[in-house]
Amino acid sequence: MDSSNPVHARRPRLGVFKLASCDGCQLTLLDCEDELLAVAQAVDIVHFPEASSSLMPEGPFDVVLVEGSLSTSEQLEQLHRIRKNARALVTIGACATAGGIQALRNFADHAEFARAVYARPDMLPILAKSTPVAEHVSVDFELRGCPIDKRQLIELIAAMLVGRAPVIPNESVCMECKRRGAVCVVVTKNQACLGPVTHAGCGAICPAFARGCYGCFGPRERPNTRALAQHMRAQGLTGREIARSFRLFTAYAPEFREESERHES
Amino acid sequence: MAERLNSEHLDDLIALMRGDGYRVIGPTIRDEAIVYDELRSAADLPWGFTDQQGPGRYRLQRRPDRAAFGYVVGPHSWKRFLFPPREQLVRIRRGSDSPQWTAATDDGPGLALLGVRACELAAIAIQDRVFMGGPFVDGRYRVRRERCLIIAVNCTEAGELCFCDSMDTGPEVQGDYDLRMTELGTELVLDAGSARGRELLERLPSRPAEDSVADRAQAAIERCRRSMGRRLDTRDLPARLMGNLDHPRYQDVADRCLACGNCTSVCPTCFCFTISDTSGVTDGEAGRERSWDSCFGAEHSTIHGAQFRPDVRSRYQQWLTHKLATWTAQFGTSGCVGCGRCIAWCPVGIDLTVEASTIAAGAGDPVPLPPVQSYAPRAGDGLVPVPARVLEVHRETHDVVNLVLQAPAGYAPEHGQFNMLSLPAIGDVPMSISGSGDGVLEHTLRSVGNATRALAGLREGAVVGLRGPFGKPWPLEQAVGRHLVLIAGGIGLAPLRSAVRETVQRPKDFPNVRILYGTRSPDDIIYDRELLGWIQASHLRAHVTVDRGDRSWSGNIGVVTKLMRRKHTPRSGLYFLCGPEIMMRYALAELDRLGIPAEHIYLSLERNMKCAVGICGRCQYGPHFVCKDGPVFRYDQIASIFGKVGF
Repeated sequence: MDSSNPVHARRPRLGVFKLASCDGCQLTLLDCEDELLAVAQAVDIVHFPEASSSLMPEGPFDVVLVEGSLSTSEQLEQLHRIRKNARALVTIGACATAGGIQALRNFADHAEFARAVYARPDMLPILAKSTPVAEHVSVDFELRGCPIDKRQLIELIAAMLVGRAPVIPNESVCMECKRRGAVCVVVTKNQACLGPVTHAGCGAICPAFARGCYGCFGPRERPNTRALAQHMRAQGLTGREIARSFRLFTAYAPEFREESERHES
Repeated sequence: MAERLNSEHLDDLIALMRGDGYRVIGPTIRDEAIVYDELRSAADLPWGFTDQQGPGRYRLQRRPDRAAFGYVVGPHSWKRFLFPPREQLVRIRRGSDSPQWTAATDDGPGLALLGVRACELAAIAIQDRVFMGGPFVDGRYRVRRERCLIIAVNCTEAGELCFCDSMDTGPEVQGDYDLRMTELGTELVLDAGSARGRELLERLPSRPAEDSVADRAQAAIERCRRSMGRRLDTRDLPARLMGNLDHPRYQDVADRCLACGNCTSVCPTCFCFTISDTSGVTDGEAGRERSWDSCFGAEHSTIHGAQFRPDVRSRYQQWLTHKLATWTAQFGTSGCVGCGRCIAWCPVGIDLTVEASTIAAGAGDPVPLPPVQSYAPRAGDGLVPVPARVLEVHRETHDVVNLVLQAPAGYAPEHGQFNMLSLPAIGDVPMSISGSGDGVLEHTLRSVGNATRALAGLREGAVVGLRGPFGKPWPLEQAVGRHLVLIAGGIGLAPLRSAVRETVQRPKDFPNVRILYGTRSPDDIIYDRELLGWIQASHLRAHVTVDRGDRSWSGNIGVVTKLMRRKHTPRSGLYFLCGPEIMMRYALAELDRLGIPAEHIYLSLERNMKCAVGICGRCQYGPHFVCKDGPVFRYDQIASIFGKVGF
């Protein structure tokens, strides 16, 4: 996909889809104000319901961006159709990569929730759990975050256009925090911060504003959540508080899920 | 001669330096810490503040007095100004026909660093050796260092985590400073260490300091020396640490360590960085930048998807042994200056002095490190590729191609060296040189990742970026008149190929050459026609084996060690090995069984070479850098770490 030769190169065909989600991640694409025109010229956006009324959900696509988790049986069928029509499938955001905030129901009796809210809960085509896309189909790349980071999205598209691996390192938020020169809130203020176990990408926004990391980007590679939780406990947090800190936007990501379950009781 | 100056005249000092065009960086308060940032006037200094520190703990506190330098060290070090967290190295002009790579320069103002502690000045000297000690000199770093003015300050109070006295780096400022201060009450005692410093001092309203004042300053430094919060026994520390790589304490640390990388980021000497090509969505400009990396991250130790430091234990071991042991073999000093930052800014308060002392006190026998190497200086930037045109592309197997490139003028590689090959906006990869001469050079590459796939897809006439040649070659001249046995696995034949060609051309010098070559299948044999040609040369024998044969294959089946029979492996011979590490491990075990001395065996290694000039730290292999001390190593020099997890 060499775009340096516009006469011969075919623009890659892009599709944007959503499953169970708030639309915030696909809005990040529309939010790329400065780069949006360039993106629209470099790729052929053939399906993007949020932005256009001319739709081609059947593709075929060179790459699709999929937002949202699998929460209903319809979404599962839709996902398999998307996968079939796409050469590369990229999941975007905490819902698609980890089940999202709606995966909090996975820790409770969702049937009871449905009974409490709906008159006819039996009419809901709801799955037992809210699950990430990778549990059902193969995923070529994940963009983390709640929502995803605009710079990472642009980097992904730019890298795809020239055929390089995107520079989206799987490192701790601390690395970004230190590069930007922020002062560690754990060390100066005893704050609870998930930065050491969380995947970088946000640019360490919260610590830079003197607040511990909420873990929006989910677990990084080999996160030592157990050691962080022990430290939180030593700092005076209760088991319930520790469980809750791991149980936010990416609660159902395996490493965070397991850590929160260790502190539930 | 020492001078005295009222502290309020720090404002004049800052104004003078700003007037001279310097950007003045010094201590100031932000986010409840004393950080280093630009100072506009002395009002920005942390007057009357101090820092109270412990493992994983830092608190800003009021002092009873109005000291300007009444703290120890904070979360920042000067490295973020001399070696910025992110920096453009190369500007790249894309375009299909004639890409260009040019060095990015630092055109910013000179920096005046105000308030540099003794340990920090020692740290700067350590980074000077890394970035300017050769073989290549980092141009951007050098420019910043040469323009930089250093106003150092002696410590008169030690912090809870300070151990500069143990590391012999403080508390008294030594070495390369322009001005040096000691703060005594509301006064500063100053002396100049350079012409620039003297010239600055002359412009300040100072007066000569009486001996009694100078003595008081010295006494305050000595008091500080006696009140160090931490100690580290450095006697024989490198050898004791290297002798205790299996200490159970490493697992204990790994259970506590978050592998977040904070220790490496706050360390004033840690220099590891990664290099990436960048590009925007539109065509045209692209770049290559570096950013701080950490040996605690996954990518630092990943090649072709495999991690050679797969767990927290091995990453912590890499950091600790590099800092306190292998650094001495690489650069001639310890990598630790005793500032205590890694202890304070570790969120869980892991204490380097405690861990190192515990591990070094283990039962293992000391393992001495090799002596520090010196490198002949080499001209040029080393980081900027030059364009090289692809003259021919030969397909060797379904996933291996041989690129014939036009060699840059004056390019003369030795057998076994490597180049960095790049395509604009994609990045560069280390690639052994598989042939050279007559104005051309060859690279045989297997398509495994994005960069190699793009390189393998090149056509005649395309232009690649080339850096090199780098690294140590095969010691071919040592093989003159001896049996030479070349043992290769898969694509590992490529780095040996130009050496083989030379032996074929000089049959009198190399009367007995034997190639033992193993591949996955008959279809994966590279240079097959050339191999047949070599065999025609009467002195050369080649034996090939494949893991899996097919109907047409009547040759050997099995791993390469099956070819290593007694008659092929004379004890006096010289052995060159190249292939996957697992293959080399088995081959080495077999050579050992056959009684071949380790000093007769050379092997070519691969690690995560990024800069290729010995400064990014990514290809560290114990005390060595694969890019400048390898890729060819004599086996006995790496035998203690070869095949060990974590190296």
